[in-house]
Amino acid sequence: MESETIERIEQLKPKNAVRNLDALGRLFMDNREMSIWERDTSTLPKGARKWRKNALEFARKEIRPIAAKADLNPDDFDTKPLRNAAIRRGLLSLLLPFPLGKASITSSVKSLSLQVVLAAEELTTECGGLALVLLAPYLGIAPLLLSGHLPTYLRHFIPFCFKLTWFDNPACFSYAITEPGAGSDVEETIGGATARLVTTARPVKGGYVLNGRKCFISNGAIADKVTVYAKLEGEGIESWTCFIVEKSMKGFSVGRHERKMGQRASDASELIFEDVFVPNRNIVGKLRSGWANNRNVLNYSRPSVGAMSIGHGRGAFERALEFCRRTKLGNKRLIDYHDVQMELADMMISLSAARAMVWKSCMQFRCNQGSSAAVKVFASDTAVKVSNQAMELMGDHGYVHANGVERSWRDARLTQIYEGTNQINRLALIESQWDVELDRSVLGYG
Amino acid sequence: MEIDIQEIEQFVDLAEKFSQKSILPMFEGEFSDGNLELLPGIYDTAFDIGFASSPDMSLAGSEYGIWGSEIDSSGILSSILTLLKISEVCGGVAMGLNSQGVATNLMLQAKKELPFATAKVALCFQEGFSLPWCGTILSPNEDLPARISTSARSAENGYIINGSKSFVYSMGDVDAYVLLARVEDKWGCFIIPSDDDGLTGKDVGQRTGMRACRVNHLEFNDVFVPEDARIDDGDAMSFAIRAMCLNWIGITAIAAGIAKGAVASARTYIADRYQGGGQIEDHPAIKRLVADSEARAYAAKAAVLSLKDIDLSFAKNSLARDLKLCAMAKLTGLDLCAMAVTDCLQTFGGYGYMEDFGMEKRLRDVTTLKSAFGAPNYLRQLIFDLGKEI
Ligand SMILES: Cc1cc2nc3c(=O)[nH]c(=O)nc-3n(C[C@H](O)[C@H](O)[C@H](O)COP(=O)(O)OP(=O)(O)OC[C@H]3O[C@@H](n4cnc5c(N)ncnc54)[C@H](O)[C@@H]3O)c2cc1C
Repeated sequence: MESETIERIEQLKPKNAVRNLDALGRLFMDNREMSIWERDTSTLPKGARKWRKNALEFARKEIRPIAAKADLNPDDFDTKPLRNAAIRRGLLSLLLPFPLGKASITSSVKSLSLQVVLAAEELTTECGGLALVLLAPYLGIAPLLLSGHLPTYLRHFIPFCFKLTWFDNPACFSYAITEPGAGSDVEETIGGATARLVTTARPVKGGYVLNGRKCFISNGAIADKVTVYAKLEGEGIESWTCFIVEKSMKGFSVGRHERKMGQRASDASELIFEDVFVPNRNIVGKLRSGWANNRNVLNYSRPSVGAMSIGHGRGAFERALEFCRRTKLGNKRLIDYHDVQMELADMMISLSAARAMVWKSCMQFRCNQGSSAAVKVFASDTAVKVSNQAMELMGDHGYVHANGVERSWRDARLTQIYEGTNQINRLALIESQWDVELDRSVLGYG
Repeated sequence: MEIDIQEIEQFVDLAEKFSQKSILPMFEGEFSDGNLELLPGIYDTAFDIGFASSPDMSLAGSEYGIWGSEIDSSGILSSILTLLKISEVCGGVAMGLNSQGVATNLMLQAKKELPFATAKVALCFQEGFSLPWCGTILSPNEDLPARISTSARSAENGYIINGSKSFVYSMGDVDAYVLLARVEDKWGCFIIPSDDDGLTGKDVGQRTGMRACRVNHLEFNDVFVPEDARIDDGDAMSFAIRAMCLNWIGITAIAAGIAKGAVASARTYIADRYQGGGQIEDHPAIKRLVADSEARAYAAKAAVLSLKDIDLSFAKNSLARDLKLCAMAKLTGLDLCAMAVTDCLQTFGGYGYMEDFGMEKRLRDVTTLKSAFGAPNYLRQLIFDLGKEI
């Protein structure tokens, strides 16, 4: 290109052409040179901004260096040091503000889940499996918070939060609803009505005796306590009750550790209950409140899965971008080719759209079934799409583990399955809007 | 001699038996990608039966094996169908056989005796970031956008080769490499024994899938190749085109086989799994996933079968068209198959994500193939450029 043309192109760039505007016109034009991350962060409430930044720093410093190894050799990898570091940094205390947590109070009063969601994206960007190790305990503890039950708060939730926030090494919680014969059925109304559940609680003096099995439980092998949902003996799922089962309880054991495609640093384990006595004080909320509690836990956890999905996609994007910057084809870098730029732009657009949707779903204090389900589907599909694009951009280099992109793709694929498959989440969206706007017209026709 | 359809059917039946008897046992026990230690035995059986083609004329496959010498007279249908069948059980083994076949087929183009005997061979073509684009295929010395840097320089009684090649797929334990390199401004095709001192190989390391094949990067440092180990007649461009076409047809067939296997597994699983008050095959959500997958797997198979009569002479006037057809089959076929496999995996719910059911392996394999030997962006550009050439 001739130097004159290059000079003209330079002048025509909006950031230079803006000089020709009046002062007021210049003010209307937002020409700040900011990354998407900075721009997005600047739109958040101040306290939330701080946690997004903290989580980013933590993820880059603590997770990035160990991510590949944790994925390759999960069985030999001790995740405890990472968990302890995250606790010290306050990243596992983002549900509540002082004195029960480290979340910003101004952000917390606006949204119960936003700060967790922000951290989830950052942690996952570096490693899906390690992020799940850190985030699954939020899911495990959510039934306690959402039970709204004062005795549960006083006996379990407040002491847990206090310990987590001010002392090291509190119990690690897992969440157990899935059974070998009931996966989708414990996440969906009609399936629930016909579910073949095996985990049962039999009343005895001073408590209940649990028998049965749960499967695929994230962190199941390392959890100190598990929120386990069981039907009461002789009743159906409407009797579902949430119990806190402690690792030390007699009759409780961990069975099979699943070998899975991705998110490998986190275990998915089978939990076995053989005449486990659980005292009454370990019942979460009221008896038979488990089904409603479970459904609401999913409402709050699905935006987090959405945020994790964005993290998977973003991790793939960032590492592919780095590859395109350092790899040359002929005398140009890959990133200098237009077709590569088209692909990168498409990935950035997809991630931005998913993030906007996730953040919007957390803009109110409470999460609701419809938007949480929609977010989960869209963000997880986006994650898989973007990580696929990232792999393809890199050609054969995309499927090499050392480049870190295929790991994000394998991790991302899980987000379309857990917390309800994307099919079940579609049903959840329809269910939530059925009576209000789908079954009858609210559009003013007829 | 023409192979008739009955003979092809017999061959495909044999492929099915080989898959069931020799490959399936690899998946007994707790192995995500199968017990890879059994691979040498599996490949040996493939040589014995004749699926694995070989430049060693004493072996059964040199004529009728996958991409064996017979394809030039009888066509490629039998190779396509065999790859399809084997990959229903294991895409990786099929890819190993495909790689062996493509390299063998190039060697069989040599109209002369080779200076040494070989059985296991592999093609070294890709270098740096990817395969050569259209301009570089036509003139390997041109930066269009990247010239071929692996070059052969004339020396007394032969050539000296320097450079490096990446992502060389093989069955493992390769005896000799078939190298496509630049000789001044033309292509040359050379056979290099794998134990040559100037040749160093490095495994590419852990990969997403296709783990039943070996994948290496190779460095050539002043490798001397005698005159008679150059197998083209002064310009090996048609060898390069042949390598691309056969590989793309083979890879698309393998992907279609993987997708077909995934559909069959999904059909079995959904008839059995109870959820939502009945077998999950009764839910429209599942029916949609499976129907889409089946249609896509079929479309991919149709795309690859449409190439069965391709003209392997790669005459100058049809060369661009043939290459473009193969590139289009790979681009769309792989996309369709990857979608089919991921949707089939979805019908398994969480079980699809676990190694035991083989679905996640299928997805890893087909996704690897999508980027292997010509990723989508490369193919798009090539298809467009070849369109202009035509
Ligand atoms: C790695 C991993 C970690 C997990 N972590 C946890 C955890 O910590 N705690 C926990 O409790 N669970 C956990 N799960 C379980 C997860 O939530 C379930 O796997 C998921 O809900 C799907 O259930 P399923 O696997 O039984 O699939 P199924 O329910 O058997 O689904 C199979 C297929 O049928 C479809 N289907 C089922 N019912 C219907 C219907 N009514 N209508 C339409 N389609 C239907 C599904 O969409 C799917 O495509 C985890 C799973 C995995 C894989």
